[in-house]
Amino acid sequence: MTSSKLIFCALALGVLTVLPPFLDAGWQNALNTLLIASLYALAFNLLAGQTGLLSFGHAAYFGVGSFAALHLMLATEDGLAFPTPLLPLAGALAGLLTGLVAGWFATMRSGVYFALVTLAIAELFHSFAPHLKELFGGESGISGMRMPWAGFTFGTTLEVYYLTLGWVLTCGALLWAYTRTPFGRLTLAIRDNEQRVRFMGYDAHVTKTVIFAVSAMVTGVAGALQAVSNETANYAVFGAHVSSQVVLFTYVGGATLFFGPVFGAVAFSLFAFLVSDLTRSWLFYQGLIFVLVMLYAPTGIGGAVTQWLRQPRQRSYAQLAGPAVLVALGGAGIACAVVFLTEAVSVLFGLDYANLKRGAETLPDFALMGLNWGPLSPLTWGLPLVLMVGGILALRRGVRRLTDAEPTFNSNAAKEGLTV
Amino acid sequence: MTSHSETPALSLRGVVKSFGALPVIQGLDLDVAKGHRHAVIGPNGAGKSTLFNLVSGMFPVTEGQILLNGAPITGLPPHRINRAGLSRSFQITNIFHRLSVFENIRMGVLARHGRRFDLFSAIARRRAINDETAQILDTVGLTRRGDHLAGDLTYSEQRALEIAMTLSTGADVILLDEPTAGMSREETAQAVELIRKVTEGKTLLMVEHDMSVVFQLCDQVSVLVYGDILATDTPEAISRNAEVQKAYLGEEAA
Repeated sequence: MTSSKLIFCALALGVLTVLPPFLDAGWQNALNTLLIASLYALAFNLLAGQTGLLSFGHAAYFGVGSFAALHLMLATEDGLAFPTPLLPLAGALAGLLTGLVAGWFATMRSGVYFALVTLAIAELFHSFAPHLKELFGGESGISGMRMPWAGFTFGTTLEVYYLTLGWVLTCGALLWAYTRTPFGRLTLAIRDNEQRVRFMGYDAHVTKTVIFAVSAMVTGVAGALQAVSNETANYAVFGAHVSSQVVLFTYVGGATLFFGPVFGAVAFSLFAFLVSDLTRSWLFYQGLIFVLVMLYAPTGIGGAVTQWLRQPRQRSYAQLAGPAVLVALGGAGIACAVVFLTEAVSVLFGLDYANLKRGAETLPDFALMGLNWGPLSPLTWGLPLVLMVGGILALRRGVRRLTDAEPTFNSNAAKEGLTV
Repeated sequence: MTSHSETPALSLRGVVKSFGALPVIQGLDLDVAKGHRHAVIGPNGAGKSTLFNLVSGMFPVTEGQILLNGAPITGLPPHRINRAGLSRSFQITNIFHRLSVFENIRMGVLARHGRRFDLFSAIARRRAINDETAQILDTVGLTRRGDHLAGDLTYSEQRALEIAMTLSTGADVILLDEPTAGMSREETAQAVELIRKVTEGKTLLMVEHDMSVVFQLCDQVSVLVYGDILATDTPEAISRNAEVQKAYLGEEAA
């Protein structure tokens, strides 16, 4: 590991450890969610990035981990002497066992068929869970309570946060260590050329089953951590969006890097926390970001940043500042236009506006971003149009000026400006 | 040289392979004696690659039996056949493109040491395995390229890596599928020396088009035509065999 990476890790670790007590409960909760999402994405990427197996059904193992932890939690309420901080072990075990069985079947096939089998397995859980009252608590789910242990009450968000932090750091470190074991190298070899692995004496199917189970195990820990912090879960954790969310995290963050998925998990968790209160269209923006990243930075945020850092540059940062500002301005212009149009459409075709329209003879003005806009006024549609066109021009010019002197520079990093 | 009464390293008995109604291998018998270098030659479409795929477990045989050192390996999956002591190379380079050259070879060394499910040790600290890998790397002359991605090697370097990977699992019976295909005269000469060196004390079965390579390396040649062995003999005898000349060598010359 290079020294700059070490410094970055130490900084991140310091912030995650020292900062939370000074934040309000909302932020502590958001950081907690962010940590769980990061671990979930790292576990998922063991399959997606390192083995080349794209699972569309990781919700199954996330959910199984959640419910296993809740059952153990209920048992501790009934007097079982089990230390509360170790509750996620139940998630690990449940994830591992479910992963072994599901993985055995799923890894019989690869590519699209593998993805479809994993999807089917998750849907199986999703459709059966509401009917299995004992296991998954029916439609309402299961709720438990964190029991005090060794002087800790686990009553505050902060205590839960540190519990999560401990588990995420431990599991993250273990996953990283995994890549340095003989089996971790075999995992990469399977991704590169499964056929050759077979002809070198390895049973590829059993190998893939074990990898799948390890990924499911850590996913189970993530699920358990969520259950421990929410103290409840229902069949919705098996839902397709829980499976697809982690795909988004991983590919936006960068599946080709070990820590790439963390970038995606952090970006989307923060985005959800900050934006979901402001607008109901936040899922649309999330999808838009995903599409833009896939189009212009297929290796994800992590991939683009790494590429940028590794790129030898002839020009100084001062010389790059001009074009960079141009790119940022262009990106901001486009973003503003897109946001304005999206929000205007959602207001104009919303229920509230329909009610307003009913009484009025002409189309009434609508309020957006603290101003009133006439739906038929040229200004309302001209302004975003100007912003959009100007933004695109500025962005293209800026990117060209950035790339001109750097023949091999990849414009992806610059276009990230669009998504911020 | 070993006596003929000894168990052959590899023995095929009445092997038949059909793809649907189309028979590709038709009741083939072949013995490869221990310690021999044995070539299979034959016109295109004779079934040479299919023969290799049957022996290495890539395809199941339709009928017949295959014995490795006297023990049946018929119907075993590739990894079991490899562990039983038979390792093959591929005609089209079949390596781990995004791993380093060193790691490509180490995969085989790990398998040989039975470290197939080692989740709990740091690979960097496995001295014996890393030393052995370095030694194989040295044998095939790729030490200098150890840290490069396998996908970045030149064609002939990749062919050498292909051979190194085949050796790395420590098998006694080596199958090489056209190891010199696509090489220049100079590269071929180097490859011949390499193959001679690394198959010392092992049994080799190879598919080869270049008759000069066969003459230099092999002590037995089998001619495969339309899915059956036409003749098996020393290279000199084969080149004099009238039937072979008519069926194969003459046909190519014509």
